[in-house]
Order: sequence, then C-alpha cells, then structure tokens
Amino acid sequence: MSSAPRPSAFRHRPDSDNTDVARLCVVNADTYTDWESVYRDNVNRLYRLMYARVGNRPDAEDLTSEVFRTALGPLRLASSKGEVRSYLLVTAQTVLASHWRRTLGVTVTSIDPESDLEALTDRSEPEEVGDAPQRAAKVLASLPERYRRILELRFLEACSIKETAHTMQISVSNAKVLQHRALRMAAKAGLEVSP
Amino acid sequence: MSTRRMTAFIDALVAGRRPDSYHADPEDVEVLRAAIALRAARPGDAAPDDEFVADLYDRLADESGRSVGSNVHPLRMRRSRAALIGVAASIALIGATVGITEATNNGATTTSAVQAPHGNVLRTATFETSQGHPLGQIVVYGGSPGWVFMNVHVPTSNGTVKCELRMTDGSIVAAGTVDLHHGSGVLTKQIDVDTRQLQGAMLYAPSGAVVGSATFA
Repeated sequence: MSSAPRPSAFRHRPDSDNTDVARLCVVNADTYTDWESVYRDNVNRLYRLMYARVGNRPDAEDLTSEVFRTALGPLRLASSKGEVRSYLLVTAQTVLASHWRRTLGVTVTSIDPESDLEALTDRSEPEEVGDAPQRAAKVLASLPERYRRILELRFLEACSIKETAHTMQISVSNAKVLQHRALRMAAKAGLEVSP
Repeated sequence: MSTRRMTAFIDALVAGRRPDSYHADPEDVEVLRAAIALRAARPGDAAPDDEFVADLYDRLADESGRSVGSNVHPLRMRRSRAALIGVAASIALIGATVGITEATNNGATTTSAVQAPHGNVLRTATFETSQGHPLGQIVVYGGSPGWVFMNVHVPTSNGTVKCELRMTDGSIVAAGTVDLHHGSGVLTKQIDVDTRQLQGAMLYAPSGAVVGSATFA
C-alpha cells in the first residue's frame, strides 16, 4: 500500500498564541460528518477517475480501494469537503504513479490534484461526468476511414482481433498492424486521457 | 518483444481484463495512453459495480473497526455469492465434522467448536465474460486442507472449461477442469495455495480461448 503525501490541511498546526484560553471550534457546514459520508460522496467519482486512467475494471477497483484504505486512516473530518477531496486526489495521484511504476515501469497516465479536482467536485449525476466519449468520437472522426473503423470495432464495439479482421476482410496480422498505426495516429490527433 | 507484449496489453484492455505487467518502452506510452482513452470511452463501462462499492465499504469498516452509521445502507452481498459461500463453508464444516467424528470415535474426549472459514483464508470472486456477463463464482479456502469450489455456467456449452488461478507474483496455479452439462458445472477440489496471494482466476475453453475471468476481492 502506498504512503500518500499529506497536504498541509492535514498536518498538525500547533496553536501559536494563548493556549490557556479555551477555544470554540467553528465547524464549517461544508464538512463531512463521518468516514461513511466521505466514502459515499466520493467512491463513484474516484472510481470513474481511476477507470479513465487505467481503462480496465479490475485495476480501477484495486486502485480505488487502495486510495480509500490509505487515505481514510489519517483523515481529519474537521477539514472542509474541498480539503478532503484534495487529500483523496493527492493520495490517488501517488497510488496511480505507483501502479504504473510497478506494472510497466513508465508513467502512462497521471492525476493532477488541481486540474482533476473537478472530477470529484462536479455534483452532476455520475453518468454526466466526463467527456471521454465525445473527445474520442471527435478524434476518431478525424482519422482515415480504415483507422477509424478498426478502433471503433476494437475499443467501442469490443470485437476480438479475429472478429475485427473478418469484418474488415483483412488478415489478423494486418489487423494488428493497422490497429497499431491507428492508435499512433489517434495519439497524434490529440486523443488523451480525460476524466 | 515489447511490441508483442504491448499488443497483449491492448488485447486485455479491449477484453476488459487486467493487463499483464511488462517493461514498457517510453515510445509505447502514447499508444497505450490512446488505447486507455478509447477503452474508457466505451459507453456504460465507467460506472463502478454495486457489489464492489458495497464490498469495499464492508472491508473499510472491518479493517478499522469503523462503525456503520444508521443512515448508511450499502448494497450487500449478492444472494448468489452468499449462497455460494454458504455451500463452500458447508463443505469445510463437513470436512471438519468428519475429522472431529473420527477423533471422537477414536476415544478423544475433548469437544471442539467447528468454525466456518472466514477472513483472509476465504477468498471469493465472480467469473465474468469480457463483456461483464456473470459466468459463475469461485471460492478458495486457504486452510489445511485448502480447497477450491466453483460453479460455472456457460450457455450452449457441453464441453469443459479449464480454470487457472493467478497469483500476485505472476505465477499460475491450475485449479482444475469443470465438466459442463447443459452449460453448467461445479468443481470442488483440494488445493494448496496462499489465499493472500490470490489475484484472479481465468477460465479457458479447450481451444485455449479465454471464456471468462474473475478478480478476487
């Protein structure tokens, strides 16, 4: 399990002045009351974020689990919801980086706690979160017909390489080469991971 | 070599399986990134499974002794999985009962409480097709003796499916072959594995084609 860095909001801040005076603690209405509400409020969106970064369910589930198991221990519920989400994202950033280091040895995708904060704060329905399908469709539309077709068959219609080759009336080895070239062109056309 | 393994990585992504690890070249990154972006764009696949959300909630509560709030109603284990664990636990109980009966018949006077397997020694997972359709379930018990129990349902098949367990260190353990009758089959077998190292299980047709996969919670 990764040891996630702790944002400043979660570090102990000793009082710098008159410690003999009893203090009233102002509780922000925008805070979580218990760990369950932290979990309930963030698990779907955090999973979606991870899924968008790894592209498969088993890894997304493992990484989401690791984020919560790492983050919930040191979590301070007195922090605002925004701080809690930032903390979850910082943890997720570390967990994802560790995943790529462990599995491929190179960083393929990453999480930016600042720019990805919207993925956790967006209060719209989860089904509406993210514009990955639209972005992918736009890039696919810009590709030559055969490149677009093979990527649609493989990634959007879940066809095996054999089924794809049969549909496109090409050999399996040809389909593999075509897929590789199509992915390179899609990458150059700006197809990037987004939440 | 790298190209072949990258292709295998992409094949796993397309099929919805966990891709195998390999040492990627830096020039692979943009292709892998595009593949992930496309896979993530497939409609309907980005939402977490209800069972995963409920199971993780339970594990978090168990691990840290956190209490479950009265206003929280997480989805619970599916009936089929609960039933399967019940069957699997019954098998363990029968085995333990036989052992105790034999000990009693042989003059032992002590009484023993028979405990159903629990915690990390009992691992469960659901077999699914690459499209996410459930095919059955598997339970592995890591006690002594350890055993594996699985039920598999592959419609329209009357052949066999071979099951392999995947460990976190990358090793593979053959779990056995399930004979299917009218598409359904059950396998119970004694097996010696470290359940803490279990990562997943794969089902293969006699041709070697992947029928389904499961990831242990």
